[in-house]
Amino acid sequence: MHGELGDTLAINLALDVITSSAILFIISVGLLIIFGVMKILNFAHAGFISVGGYAGLVTTKFEVSPWLSFPLAFVIGAAIGAVLERLVIRHLYKRPLDAILAAWGIGIILVQLITILFGREIQFVQRPISGTLDVIGESYSTYRLFMVLGAVAVGSVIAWLLQRTRLGLNTRAVIMNDDLAQALAINSVRVRFISFSLGSGLAAMAGAMITPLSSVDPNMGFPWIVSAFMIVLLSGTSLVSLAASSFVLGGAQVLVSTFVNPVVGGLSIVILAAIILRIRPEGFSLE
Amino acid sequence: MNKQSADGKSKRPKTGRIFSMRAMLWFIGIAMIVVAIGPFVFDKYTTNVLIRSFLYAVTVLTVDILWGYTGILTFGQSAFFGIGAYAAALTFTHLGFSPEMAALSFIGGIVVSMAVAWLVGWIAFWHRASPLYVAVLSLVLPIIVVQLLYSGGKFTGSSSGLVGFEAFDISVNGWFWIAGGLLITLTAIGWLFVHSDFGRVLVAIRENEKRCQFLGIDTTRIKIILMMAMAAVASIAGYVYACYTVVVAPEIAGFVFGTELVIYTALGGRATLIGPAIGAVLIDLTSAYLSGNLPFIWKLIVGTIFVAVIVVLPQGAAPVVKGLFMRLGAFFRRTPGQPAIGDIASLSTLAAVESPSSRPGGVTDFAALKTENLSRHYGSFKALDTISFEARDGELLSIVGPNGAGKTTLMQCISDGQGRSGGNVWINGQLIGRKSPQAVVKLGIGRSFQNTNMFESLNVSECLRLARYCHERPALFSRETDLALPGAAMRIIEATGLEAIFDSEARNLSHGQKRALELTMVLAIEPSVLLLDEPTAGLTKAERTLIGGILADLSRDDELCVLLIEHDLDFVRQVSSRVIVLHQGGLLMDGTVQEVVASDMVKAVYSGQHAIEEHQ
Repeated sequence: MHGELGDTLAINLALDVITSSAILFIISVGLLIIFGVMKILNFAHAGFISVGGYAGLVTTKFEVSPWLSFPLAFVIGAAIGAVLERLVIRHLYKRPLDAILAAWGIGIILVQLITILFGREIQFVQRPISGTLDVIGESYSTYRLFMVLGAVAVGSVIAWLLQRTRLGLNTRAVIMNDDLAQALAINSVRVRFISFSLGSGLAAMAGAMITPLSSVDPNMGFPWIVSAFMIVLLSGTSLVSLAASSFVLGGAQVLVSTFVNPVVGGLSIVILAAIILRIRPEGFSLE
Repeated sequence: MNKQSADGKSKRPKTGRIFSMRAMLWFIGIAMIVVAIGPFVFDKYTTNVLIRSFLYAVTVLTVDILWGYTGILTFGQSAFFGIGAYAAALTFTHLGFSPEMAALSFIGGIVVSMAVAWLVGWIAFWHRASPLYVAVLSLVLPIIVVQLLYSGGKFTGSSSGLVGFEAFDISVNGWFWIAGGLLITLTAIGWLFVHSDFGRVLVAIRENEKRCQFLGIDTTRIKIILMMAMAAVASIAGYVYACYTVVVAPEIAGFVFGTELVIYTALGGRATLIGPAIGAVLIDLTSAYLSGNLPFIWKLIVGTIFVAVIVVLPQGAAPVVKGLFMRLGAFFRRTPGQPAIGDIASLSTLAAVESPSSRPGGVTDFAALKTENLSRHYGSFKALDTISFEARDGELLSIVGPNGAGKTTLMQCISDGQGRSGGNVWINGQLIGRKSPQAVVKLGIGRSFQNTNMFESLNVSECLRLARYCHERPALFSRETDLALPGAAMRIIEATGLEAIFDSEARNLSHGQKRALELTMVLAIEPSVLLLDEPTAGLTKAERTLIGGILADLSRDDELCVLLIEHDLDFVRQVSSRVIVLHQGGLLMDGTVQEVVASDMVKAVYSGQHAIEEHQ
């Protein structure tokens, strides 16, 4: 009997680690793209996650398929990102610290607009998939398992965009050496514009994807951003290292929460990331 | 160190500082009147709110010194405010209130804050850590503190905080005067601090930290100590806040408050101190009145203005307000602009001290500079490969070679212990190991750079004082008016006429003047080994001859060891005592000027034939 209980725990724990890592990957990938191309962290990330969450709420309110919330969130997020890049971020390329401050201000504006439009109370959205799935004899939340699929899909599409398209080639050139890319007549202003829009869209889509797991409120993005920042700083500019650091830090969070206590678990991502960066400044990136 | 004749008096009006001494005195005078009569003029609600606003403003001063002046963007000062507040609340709740406990918790809060600041600084300021990373870490700090407060159960009061503990029995008016007095005092002290010689060091760190390190300034240490000091000030503000309100909740340590402090600073006008202080008081007061009626709209307005100010008006409101006052002031100004503090009243030459490299009898048993198998690899590419050579005192060694030969990389590897992939470097017989640039400077290295951008908003005399950092610690709360420089530096100043532009900001200098300043600064460090990376690039023939002559004199008369990167072989021929030729990362030749100039190999390298022959 004891052995069976141990198996149950182990399987649940393993699934928790995998799904938590997948969620962290989904949350951070939009940030990574903007960081890779523009070398700034998008401090408005939390605001975009909230925007996505409310896109999910809109599909619930209009009683359309909850699956539509993902593309809807992406389109709204990308559109807002595109406007803000033109109006604000573009003018601050030479002042990176000011760029993150302005992004922070944008985050405040987004959250306040959401509050005015939807109210500040906690609301719930409909899940695209409900129920549980049998994994090696253990029943586990189907939607959490779907997040793994979601992470793989998002990662694959971005990898395909970067590796197999002209735009991706230009983007990789800007990531590696902006000045040289410009000298080769690559329009890096356009690459940055597209990257910021894409990153914002992905952040909003991540918001729509995670809301069925909990609930929506205007500040729902904030608990995520510090973890996402640290994961991106640890990953540098590669999707593979983003997956690696999501797995290591997500795993640490689950294990510490389970075996030590949830408060320390919640902080374990940032503390572990800070220690790793202090010892190995290049983090998980291979360069 | 004796100072010789105080020649070259220069008294010129000076511009460039946002607020002058006079503006500061005006501010203090008006602020003292407002604080003194405030409780009798304002209604009770306003008085209460203002006490809080004053304490926020004190914390905003610390944000401005860290971010506005030193360039360390921090969202974490709220954490120290919270630590100070909770130090009082926890002590008075659990141990009761008494004068001893009050003193104990006051000191305890400061000590804990400084310890936390030290830890954060140690984690944040590693070699080559980006300002972005520091900003993220500063955001992490308040989140951790709030989490700890939440999980403290009954001890910290968790999410509801601590309420109703006994504290000082002081009237509201009394607290108003205490908080107002604290703000005025700290603004005045802060103003003296940022306008002192040391304050210029902070600005230099903001503008070009790497360059500071090559002047021998331990910027990491300065930043950590500064963070600790600012943590202590924020902690004091938090302590007073807790004693006045007798309510503490985790939000006062949170990152939302931390970012509000940055917003106040940006809107008031970063790097002006007075601007952020006034900004904090006005915005917090307005918030108190408006957030009741239009809570979300008000935050939306502040957020929108904040973004607009960052994009359009990065210096905030202060310069705009100053512009208005200047126009007003022009009407009834009686005395024309007096010299602001910071002017150099006298410039003097340091009496020649025995140069550290010259030893009795002039004979040393080790070279001034020695490298052994020095290498720098980038992956499989060898930028520098097993370079071994020696240079002695009194030698002027030119390093020549085509572009990409590894000349600048060689200087990088000599001046920074972290720069090389393999091999060893000795300076005056001491191994540089993995030492930081500032530690290598202390071994006797002085390095000038190829590019001419260094400290944009510092003027020439401030740049020179900065270069003297290792020899004369800059004053913390005042400015020296005398500047004493070593003879070698004075010779460059006299030859190039640099003294006439002592009050010009470095960004406004011509290319030639920048090169002269760069060279003077390196000499002001009093190095025994000089590394000069194309010191005469882009200068006219006359200027080059002048500088070349001085360099040759320096190596001969002052027994300096000079390493010079040069492209112009005529120039090299005139000044050098020896020449090293680098090619594709390797040492091609090491010999006298005659040998090198006569060498067919060198001619081949310069005409590009060497590579072809090699491949045949």
